[in-house]
Amino acid sequence: MRVDFGAMFDDVYAEIGVPAVFTVTNGTGGVVADITVIDDTRPKTLPAGGSVEVIDVGPGAYARIPELAANGITRADYLHAVLAFNSRNWVVRSYELRGSPNGEDQGEVRFLLKAA
Amino acid sequence: MVDVREDILARLLELVATIPNIKTAVRGNIDLTPEHLPAAIVLDGDEETNDVSDLSMRPPHRPTSVQMTPEIILVESEVGEIVDIGTLRREMIRLVLYDTELNEQIVKTGRNGNGAIRYLGCQTDVGWMRSLHGALRAQFLFKYTLNPADL
Repeated sequence: MRVDFGAMFDDVYAEIGVPAVFTVTNGTGGVVADITVIDDTRPKTLPAGGSVEVIDVGPGAYARIPELAANGITRADYLHAVLAFNSRNWVVRSYELRGSPNGEDQGEVRFLLKAA
Repeated sequence: MVDVREDILARLLELVATIPNIKTAVRGNIDLTPEHLPAAIVLDGDEETNDVSDLSMRPPHRPTSVQMTPEIILVESEVGEIVDIGTLRREMIRLVLYDTELNEQIVKTGRNGNGAIRYLGCQTDVGWMRSLHGALRAQFLFKYTLNPADL
């Protein structure tokens, strides 16, 4: 049986994805795209000085690279982009390519976010 | 009753609370949220004597010299916001080393006695949450005379 991983991603995003607006800010044309992301904002603890813990969240979001590419968003556009979803605005400070059995360009990217 | 160790720790907490822009100054609390920042936390730290090598006839309740090493942790609210960790560190060192009450009345350094206060150093931390936070863990050494008769 041949597995269509792209369709699997689409099914997951249709179930738990949320609408988002991705705005490119790095000077390549100001692309603004409506996409779907999975909110991956997680609890996070900062171990300050070894024993003191500052408790907050580490904001993040998953997106499908094919959907980004279809909107004209390339990897060079990821950093510093503004990503708005679930009533909050974030800035992409870094990203992590998640890969796919069909190649990294067919997989997901996890955006590591910071407060806008 | 005089408990020099407690007096030192209490005075340290008073001093770090006066660092400009500090929002939270606590002793021993290790759970903070971003709303607490910038914060200064006093940790009691360790203390030791040289008495392990003193097996003389000296009665156990006679005064002995103690070296305690409390720690101060500073956490800034966000890198580049409100106040930076370097400024917090500078103010902390200045406040502790120049404090007359700590030097002359509690630890009794210099011509007031044989105590001593030293800044030992610090280690820095940085990490991301919603924003980038810097933190610092500093150690001080206080040498004082522990007199069990005062306790």
